Amino acid sequence: MQLRGRKHVATVGGAVAVALLAACSSSSSSSSSSGATSAPAATSATGSAAAASGKLNGAGSTFQLTFQEAAISAFKSVNSGATVNYDGVGSGSGRADLYAGTVNYAGSDSTIPTTEESKLNGKKVLYFPILIGPITLSYNLQGVSNLKLSPSVIAQIFQAKITTWNDPAIAAINPGVKLPSTPITLAVRSDSSGTTQNFTLFLQDAVGSAWTLGSSSTIKWPSTARAAAGNGGVAQVVKSTPGAIGYVDYSTAQASGLTGASIENKAGKFVAPSTSAASTDAAGATVKPDLTFHAVWASSNPAAYPVTYQTWDIVYATQPNANDAALLKAYLGFLLGSQGQALLEPLHYAQLPNNIDQMAVAQLSQITS
Amino acid sequence: MMAIASEQQTVDLREPSGWRRTKNQIATVGMWIAFVVMLVPLGFVLFTVIAKGASAITWQFLTNSTIPVNVLPVTYGGVGPAVVGTLIITGFASLIAIPLGVLGGVYINEYGGNHLLARVINFFADVMTGVPSIIMGLFIFTIWVLHFGYSGLAGSFALACLMLPIVIRSTYEMLRLVPNSLREASYALGATKARVTVTVTLPAAIGGIVSGALLAVARAAGETAPLVFTILVTQTTNANLFSGANTALSTLIFQNATQPYTGAQARAWGSALTLIAIAFILMIVARLVTARFARYDH
Amino acid sequence: MSMTARADSAIPAESASPLTRRRPFGDRSFQILCLAAGLLVLIILALIAISMTQQSTTWFTTAGWSGVFSTDWDPAHNAFGAVPFIYGTLVTAAIAIVIAFPVSLGIALLLTEVVPRRFSRPIVYVIDLLAVVPSVVWGLWGILILAPWLQGIYQSIASGLTGVPVLSTFFGGQGVSGASFFTAGLILAVMITPIVTSLSREVIATVPAIDREGAYALGATRWEMIRGAVWPHSQAGVVGAVLLGLGRAMGETIAVALVIGSSPTITTHLFSTGYSMPSVIANEFGEATVGEFRAALIGMGVLLFVLTIIINLSARAIVDRSVRRSRGA
Repeated sequence: MQLRGRKHVATVGGAVAVALLAACSSSSSSSSSSGATSAPAATSATGSAAAASGKLNGAGSTFQLTFQEAAISAFKSVNSGATVNYDGVGSGSGRADLYAGTVNYAGSDSTIPTTEESKLNGKKVLYFPILIGPITLSYNLQGVSNLKLSPSVIAQIFQAKITTWNDPAIAAINPGVKLPSTPITLAVRSDSSGTTQNFTLFLQDAVGSAWTLGSSSTIKWPSTARAAAGNGGVAQVVKSTPGAIGYVDYSTAQASGLTGASIENKAGKFVAPSTSAASTDAAGATVKPDLTFHAVWASSNPAAYPVTYQTWDIVYATQPNANDAALLKAYLGFLLGSQGQALLEPLHYAQLPNNIDQMAVAQLSQITS
Repeated sequence: MMAIASEQQTVDLREPSGWRRTKNQIATVGMWIAFVVMLVPLGFVLFTVIAKGASAITWQFLTNSTIPVNVLPVTYGGVGPAVVGTLIITGFASLIAIPLGVLGGVYINEYGGNHLLARVINFFADVMTGVPSIIMGLFIFTIWVLHFGYSGLAGSFALACLMLPIVIRSTYEMLRLVPNSLREASYALGATKARVTVTVTLPAAIGGIVSGALLAVARAAGETAPLVFTILVTQTTNANLFSGANTALSTLIFQNATQPYTGAQARAWGSALTLIAIAFILMIVARLVTARFARYDH
Repeated sequence: MSMTARADSAIPAESASPLTRRRPFGDRSFQILCLAAGLLVLIILALIAISMTQQSTTWFTTAGWSGVFSTDWDPAHNAFGAVPFIYGTLVTAAIAIVIAFPVSLGIALLLTEVVPRRFSRPIVYVIDLLAVVPSVVWGLWGILILAPWLQGIYQSIASGLTGVPVLSTFFGGQGVSGASFFTAGLILAVMITPIVTSLSREVIATVPAIDREGAYALGATRWEMIRGAVWPHSQAGVVGAVLLGLGRAMGETIAVALVIGSSPTITTHLFSTGYSMPSVIANEFGEATVGEFRAALIGMGVLLFVLTIIINLSARAIVDRSVRRSRGA
């Protein structure tokens, strides 16, 4: 995509932040049944945010972009001296910015790949997970409102082995649904994306060797696929192209008015994307001590939505100066605290499972200067 | 003529034969169809931009100093930063390019004569008008942005590179039309070359020069590619041309065209209408100036 | 490039005065100022060539000629082959010319031969209107309105043509998309029509009245006169005008970037998604923070620059020559 703001100054006042929340909750068709399985972590992290001031720059994942924008303005209303900018350039570019030192934190939906580890120059990084959410398989099919898809069918679709909607494989799992003969248009990411990486990881975990394109931030999709930048770009392709299907994060899909397919999970049930189903799935993830984990295909719970993923804010453990360290702690603490996590539901994200949130808050003390 | 006519079949010179007449009519109809074919997309685009953009345009839309996040509907915030950006970036570019372009055109026509250098400059100015605008953007990126960072100034430089050859060419064409007798009369009165040019020749061609310059400005205001590589983006008004990223109506439209949210798209349509209005107004003023100053039109 | 009646060359006898002759300081410095302004054109062009080539050497040295001209574009795996983009640029420009040439020529002839002078002004205004619509607005309309609408039409054409020998290679195919080579070509055609029309008009206007009137005197219909008197004279010039349109079509960035589908594909199916040189530069530059990626994009800018300079040079030379010849005739 064309150059996007390296200094995305979101100085939208608190009033607009409230308006954002109001607008999103009034426009959401399914009032999100709050994630029942994970109570918001009640921490006192925000207590130390009162006196924070200075400037923070972040960049990366478009999955967390909407949340970052809302949190930034909410944070500013409690810390008028602090300015935070976040630029949604995709997880890959965000990590590149972190290595180059042009941002304080990188938003990334995937952990740093082994091929990039050398760029850290031996410096230690800390992973702070901040939210959970579903990846929807959004589609544009007139007259079809509750499409069901299984991982193997999805794998075949995205390898261009199934090319029309009325293919027998799709019809088999959607009995009684009238599927048109429209060709399938794939909508994929053109930029280096954590959403792509998690989506392909899901396919790898679920269907094994039937998925041949691997799992990475950029994939060599079939040549007929239409690529676009950011979750927003893919959503736009799906929205404007009859017969299109693409992988879009739930928050973006909801805001764009897109419908996601129900996906078959480990227990064999077809589950529609929702924040509660996402939380159910994330509860089954194994969390490593450094707070990395994979939420895709994690749970055998019949109510789990299997294509759920996570996103982190990655920072260097040792900050160049004390002010940066303090501001980072304050901002990340805000995101992880009750105020920050409360912003999530109206924006169609799921909150972090309780245990993960507590571990993250405890990790804040490891940021030093 | 008669001898020829008698060798071939007799030709009635008053009325062409049936088939020839039909061919002629088909050709004429074909030409009119060509015109209509061109009208269709123009009408379509104008209609769509007006229909979708008009509802977005309010005073707040044009002046509010914050561009809201993409998900927000068009009633929040506005595109004030982009309007300011377009005005100051295009304005500064014009400030650079128009005087330099006029001077360049003066050189070619008044001082250059048949010198090889003048002809070379003339030729390459022509060629330069055809260089894609993205090249200008990339050029300024490599020689300016890489060293001094993104700014509205860099955008102005890129637009000025675009406008310079256009203004040179149109100035040259207008100066060529000024009759030599004017100049000679001034020389006869003892004026120096510079004085003649500035006080006699240029004013004589001023209508055409101004109108040519206005058209160049209209073109620059609508350009996107040169700005994509030089000004980056910002959500709030940056009236400081010399430091910090900026935004413009054209880049805003480009960014929002690929967004799925109705608010972002509505902002794009509103900005498109604003941009077209600016370009049309400049074009109309240019026409009026030409008509008003038309003295040497043949 | 106006062929209006020239005033006498505006050069009085002393114009070739060398700067060394004694002249008032103000006069001399004004001349130097004008010369400097003129030289700016050459300086900028030279700087463009030098600085951009310098920035792109990494691409040429790392990938070598085989890498640069390969068909594989995969930035994640360090493959930076430019061929898909060169292909897309040429294909969309070709589509644009095929559509724009008859339309522009038709309008130009309409204005010079059919419509009386008094009534030609509204038509000229409409052409100017077409020219002043910014590229990004064409792109916005193209991707949000035109492409979705065309998708259905392409679909019907493609399925209707399955099995038809020649046509289906161009207009058939499975992956039919509203955002495709053909849509980009259509929008390009609309965008280059004004310039090809106005240049063709200029060229046609230089056909001597004698030839026109002679043809009419022999009893020719208007169409025969055009074919017999106008066309032979203006042929070369119109070709030059078309070349200029081609150059413009190849360099057009934003409208194409939005509607071409952003997929580096080499295929004869015109309804398939594709990519072009300027589009990929505009779309992917923000992503290109790594050395060779950025060098590759700038390198494609250099290729584009060279290509358009060559085309423009030839076009101007042809139009110049043809106009001079007709006026001399």
